[in-house]
Amino acid sequence: MLLALLLASLVGSAAAWPLGRTLGQRSVGWLLALLPAALFAGFLRFAPIIAAGREVVERRGWAPSLGVELTLRLDGFAFLFCLLVTGVGALVVIYAGAYLAERTAADRARFLALTLLFMTAMLGTVLADDLIALFVFWEATSVISFLLIGFDVDSPSARRAALMSLRVTAGGGLALLAAILLAGAVLGSYSLAEVASRAPQLAGTPWIGAIVAGVLVGACTKSAQFPFHFWLPNAMQAPTPASAYLHSATMVKLGIYLLARFEPVIAVVPWGRDTVVGIALATMLVGAFLAMRAENYKAVLAYSTVASLGILMMLVGMDGPMASVAMIGFLVAHALYKATLFFCAGTVIHATGLSNLRLLGGLWRFLPVTALASMLASLSMAGLPPFFGFISKELLFEAQIESSWDVVPMTVALIVNSVIVGVACVVTLRPFFLGRGRVREVRHREVTALLVGPMLLALLGLVISVEPDWFDRTVLGPAVSAVYGAPIVVNVQLWHGVTPMLLLSMAVVTIGVLLFVYWIPIHQRLRAQTLLDRYEAEHAYDLLLRGIEAAARRVHALLQRLELRDQLGVIFGAAAAFVAWGLLAARVTPRLPGDWGALRVGPALMALVGLAGAIGAARARSVLGAMIGTGLVGLVAALEFLTYGAPDIALTQFAVESLVVVLLTAVLLVLPLSAPSTRTARARWRDAALAAAVSLLLFVALLDMIATPQPTEVSAYFGAHSLVDALGRNVVNVILVDFRGFDTLGETTVIALAAVIGWSLLGPRGRERAERTPAHAAPRAAFVLEFASPLFFRLLVLLSIVVLLRGHDEIGGGFVGGLTASLAFAIVALAQGVDEARRRLRLSPLTLAGGGLLLAVASGLPGLVTHGDYLRHLWFELHAGSVQLEQGTTLLFDLGVYLAVLGTVLTFLFGLAQEAER
Amino acid sequence: MIADVLRDGLALWPVATPLAAAALATLLHRRPALQRAVMEAAVALTLVAAALLLAHAARGERLVMAFGGWGAPFGVTFVAERLGAALCTTAAAIAVAVAIFARADVRARRRRAGFDPLFLGMLASVNGAFLTGDLFNLYVWFELMLATALGLMTLDRRRAQIDGALRYAAMSMMGATFILVGIGLLYGAVGTLDMADLSRAIAGRAPSVTLTTAGYLLLAGLLLKSGVFPFFFWLPASYHTAPIGVAAALAGLLTKVAFYACLRVLVLVFGVGASAPAVSGMPPLLALLAALTMLVSVLAAIAQVDVRRVLAFHVMGQVAYLVMGLALASSLGTAAAIFYTMHTMLVQTGLFLGAGAIARAGGGYDLRAAGGLIREHPFFAALFATLALSISGVPPLSGFWAKALVIDAAVRARLPWSWWLIAIALVTGFLTLYSMSTLWTQAFWRPPKRRERRARPIPPAMVAAVALMAACTLGLGLAIEPAVRLSRAAARELAPEPPRQRRPPDVPPALPPARGAP
Amino acid sequence: MSVLLALVASGLVGCGLYMVLSRHVVRMVLGLSLLTTAVNLVLFLTGRVRSTQPPLIREGSERLGDSADPLPQALVLTAIVIGFALTVILAVLTLRAWRAQGTVRSDELRAARALGDPSTPEPGGDR
Repeated sequence: MLLALLLASLVGSAAAWPLGRTLGQRSVGWLLALLPAALFAGFLRFAPIIAAGREVVERRGWAPSLGVELTLRLDGFAFLFCLLVTGVGALVVIYAGAYLAERTAADRARFLALTLLFMTAMLGTVLADDLIALFVFWEATSVISFLLIGFDVDSPSARRAALMSLRVTAGGGLALLAAILLAGAVLGSYSLAEVASRAPQLAGTPWIGAIVAGVLVGACTKSAQFPFHFWLPNAMQAPTPASAYLHSATMVKLGIYLLARFEPVIAVVPWGRDTVVGIALATMLVGAFLAMRAENYKAVLAYSTVASLGILMMLVGMDGPMASVAMIGFLVAHALYKATLFFCAGTVIHATGLSNLRLLGGLWRFLPVTALASMLASLSMAGLPPFFGFISKELLFEAQIESSWDVVPMTVALIVNSVIVGVACVVTLRPFFLGRGRVREVRHREVTALLVGPMLLALLGLVISVEPDWFDRTVLGPAVSAVYGAPIVVNVQLWHGVTPMLLLSMAVVTIGVLLFVYWIPIHQRLRAQTLLDRYEAEHAYDLLLRGIEAAARRVHALLQRLELRDQLGVIFGAAAAFVAWGLLAARVTPRLPGDWGALRVGPALMALVGLAGAIGAARARSVLGAMIGTGLVGLVAALEFLTYGAPDIALTQFAVESLVVVLLTAVLLVLPLSAPSTRTARARWRDAALAAAVSLLLFVALLDMIATPQPTEVSAYFGAHSLVDALGRNVVNVILVDFRGFDTLGETTVIALAAVIGWSLLGPRGRERAERTPAHAAPRAAFVLEFASPLFFRLLVLLSIVVLLRGHDEIGGGFVGGLTASLAFAIVALAQGVDEARRRLRLSPLTLAGGGLLLAVASGLPGLVTHGDYLRHLWFELHAGSVQLEQGTTLLFDLGVYLAVLGTVLTFLFGLAQEAER
Repeated sequence: MIADVLRDGLALWPVATPLAAAALATLLHRRPALQRAVMEAAVALTLVAAALLLAHAARGERLVMAFGGWGAPFGVTFVAERLGAALCTTAAAIAVAVAIFARADVRARRRRAGFDPLFLGMLASVNGAFLTGDLFNLYVWFELMLATALGLMTLDRRRAQIDGALRYAAMSMMGATFILVGIGLLYGAVGTLDMADLSRAIAGRAPSVTLTTAGYLLLAGLLLKSGVFPFFFWLPASYHTAPIGVAAALAGLLTKVAFYACLRVLVLVFGVGASAPAVSGMPPLLALLAALTMLVSVLAAIAQVDVRRVLAFHVMGQVAYLVMGLALASSLGTAAAIFYTMHTMLVQTGLFLGAGAIARAGGGYDLRAAGGLIREHPFFAALFATLALSISGVPPLSGFWAKALVIDAAVRARLPWSWWLIAIALVTGFLTLYSMSTLWTQAFWRPPKRRERRARPIPPAMVAAVALMAACTLGLGLAIEPAVRLSRAAARELAPEPPRQRRPPDVPPALPPARGAP
Repeated sequence: MSVLLALVASGLVGCGLYMVLSRHVVRMVLGLSLLTTAVNLVLFLTGRVRSTQPPLIREGSERLGDSADPLPQALVLTAIVIGFALTVILAVLTLRAWRAQGTVRSDELRAARALGDPSTPEPGGDR
């Protein structure tokens, strides 16, 4: 049932947006108000249960494995809030429909939909028993409040206020989240009821401090408590209906709600209550003071709201049942009269376009009913009998007298309440009754929609005090019991006889009236007083933001200062540091190989040559020198491979090196060859040291590896199965095309797509595409070469095919084959120009690459079809007359590789050659 | 028959489909329209395949594809467990969004420059990395990812793109070097490359110089590709230069794949989080790096005025949370990191796509000149807000759960330094919200500098792509239960089996070669 | 002999890194290709230097006799080719950078850095 109501609310408010766009200006408010009204009725149906002191609980799972539930619990306190939220909600929607008369239908729809969505979020927050679910709705209220405050898209101040409220409340939300997660981790449950009942268990943990602090921050940001109070007055940028709803009647009371729920937890830490009351008193004083200084109609109301929230907070912090009674009583009273006053303020601003109290006056002639409503509300606010405000104030003082607190809160409460009385007079008497003639005429008269809200609420403030029984039984009593945690019978009555409370009330009223009488002088005195401006918390907020921006700029500047070489240096410096840290952490010492093996002269010499080449490359002054050095290293590496039994690698390395030389030369033909040193001597030394350190680390690691005995299970397996199961004598090639054929496939893809990249990077673009340079003679090579190149070409192509075919059993394979073939074309290109090479190729190299890749990918499918293993190669015998040769899908695979390599190398070859011609 | 083949190859299709399509698209390099058709079909099929795979894996069925019929540890195998399958599906979903976006963003010129084959190649490499059970094979896929990313970044051959690609290439090749040396040392010490086999073989061993060096080099290389402090420089140097659709794909895929590999290598191979890991001292180091990455990236993001740069830095900031989950060295932490990975892949892509749409409507990426989009594009504004709120960790979007899970895991891990980590994570969360709310306000809300300028229309394809991602993050947030179950099960699957259960590597099918088969 | 190879490999790594740290992009590229070669040596070394016999199964023999470890060789072959592809791509990028910005000094290549930098005047962006 509860969930049904919640869902109905959600769906309804979602539907309100499109609906509101279609409805007319007069009807839209009334029609959309049906939703909250219906919900109000829906909740009222629980009244008997609540009145009987029972509660409605609906358990539902959401994320069981996280212990997160969607359990809804309706007890007295939640019930009170639900009625408040839906009831005031209905009136707000009606009011807003008329208030936004001038806006476009779209804007109206947006506002009303947001208001209803907000109502949904509020209901969720107060109904949720699961803290995570509660947090979800809690944050939703923050976000919607953000959108409502910033509703006026074109006003910068509205944007600033909206961002401020979002950042303050959502920031507090993070603290709350942390507290929730901690509590959940301790108790193993996120149930609000559990947390309240098992508070002592929390007290035992070291985290209790963090939990309470988190909850406090969350609540204080939401309920605009000092020092976070500053966002609330700014939030008055919102359209007045939103202010009435969010920022006085409902949302800002969520923090109070949360604290009241968490009271048992707060109570278990020694500093808990003191902190709450301390914050509350500060908030009350700041709010009262600023209320006296403000002259903007809504601002005055906002600051008095801050003060009232402080009072509520104080009552939450105080112990004793009376505190709970007073808290609930004041909560209701405040909601009723403050919403009314906001409505009236809205009507006035809407009618006159003025918002400065000092310019307003004598409006009762134009807005009589509004004036009446405002009057009633103010009387309640001033706490005069027979209004409910009077009762709540009595309760307040009673609670203070009962509670174990000394005189400080009492005096503060006295002052603040007097100020509130003063404000009550100011906001009603000044605009409506005094200073007639300040306003000559008004833009709008009152319309029903603008009156329903204020009148109803104002009268309610009267009704529930003169006819309190039903209200006590069904709303006040259960709510108090829920908050206090034990059943309490509340029967408030108007007249207690002459009690200390009554005397206090009278004192308050007198002071308040005096404050009002001398409002102008006091007000001006305080405005002249700028000292406090400097210590206004809002500045702290601005400072924080400026600090963040400054830090951000500093970080950015730092990052921008690092150029590529620094970054690379950082990178492998850090990598080396990682390894060092790991070695330290593991406390391991390197092993050294037992026998260093017989030193053979040949390889040793080669090694030295290689190192010399590398060092030469590193020290070379010209790019060409560096390239030669690198090439030399490559060749030496190839020779080493050859001597240590890796002819396949050697062959590939040779081919690759020569191609790299060819391609890089093509690049260098374009680039400037001279490469003056770019590093200062010191930088060079530093780099050298860094490089040396890294290479030393690597050397040590390699020694240790060599010394470690290596299980050869896997490689032995290849030796054993290569011929028997894979029909290949060249184990390396068998691994490439069969055992680990999939690596090769991936690598072939790299090659083939490199062709695409070369095509995209070197191919002609835009204009160039139009004016393709026709075949103009390439730099002629030596006559001999030119003469011999066709021969070379044929020989190399033939060789490449042979290499490809015999690969499986002898040295060779697809890669080497492809590289050889591309060498063939390279020679032609060198000798007779690229276009000749193109002509010989006939089709686009990219087609070769793509086709090769496709072939390689496809060659794996037959195996999948027959045996369910991709890349399992199939074998069959071809009988060509007498000769009978055995071939398998491996050949297709290798052929694919061959083509891909060829296509790619040629793409780059041709592209670079063109680049050089350009 | 066909059905059998399709089923047998289930673990293969998420890679083979885009691979074959890439080859096809390369062949069609002169026919942009056909290229697009091939690409879109392939991407859709990949999503279907990945989803089927996930359906299998979610049932706990461990699909293994032994290439060439040689089982691990001798041949290369694909092992489709929950983690890999889930990430494959996420990647495919991203690819779909990008493909939709590309309809409006990628013109014929970019297609002729090879957008389709390169994009498909990247998708293949990503899925390959997610599925492979072999360390060296993983390296191959990484290199393919690097190459294709380079190609995609430079589609327009703008100066900045070439420049950024150059930096990206240089640094990534350093990373590849680290990784390759690490793999080599591992093989040299243990004599196998199959990850499961490695983990079994290493589990028994005492820490040694070789293993430690291998482990930390792999860590450095993979963190580099994950864009983690102090290796992240390539990311803000290149992402903002790429064509926006491409940038979206990169933001969603690259760093996450690298982190996935990190997760797999550290947790599975080196048993980080197990009772006796083969390498010591990693968790505190990771925690430190996570914290530094969070702060540096989010602050740097706040300093930016270019949407793409802001988002690029947030990519890093989000990866930091993944690293944080990993640093906790607990099953919960790993699970949180896994969920976070899925979430952030979707949201990052969505945000970058949204940035593209913003630029299309507002005429540029510069926030100082942007504004006023909410009037003409309220729906799109809501979509982008959804993504922005999700990355800021606002409930009930997936981003909230991701953050909550990581922090919760940190709370429960009760490590000496979890407190600092949690505090920094919360602060970073706040700063992220700060940055994203500013971005949204500037781009959509505040009236444009030049009042008279009205926002241009946004192609429906773009809105659809962003909407898809927004729907994903919302759905993931509401249907949190299955997602959490999945990631927790995945985390359990990932953890190495205790050493006593060590069994000899499974022998491959010894059936005779299929001579004369049809 | 393994030790010798180890020495060469780490020596090459050292020189490669030194070159990579240069501001001259071509030097950097060459340094990277040097690194690739070095890494190939490391990979090759992981099989140790058991024998100088190539891993070919002789005629008449069913299985591989005493020979070098074939697996690392296969890995090296793969790595060589991939390294080749990436080096070439990098070289072409360098060429493009030169064509576009007329310099191959990494500190003078500013395009990416300048794009969308907060210090650039409005409206910035690159459209």
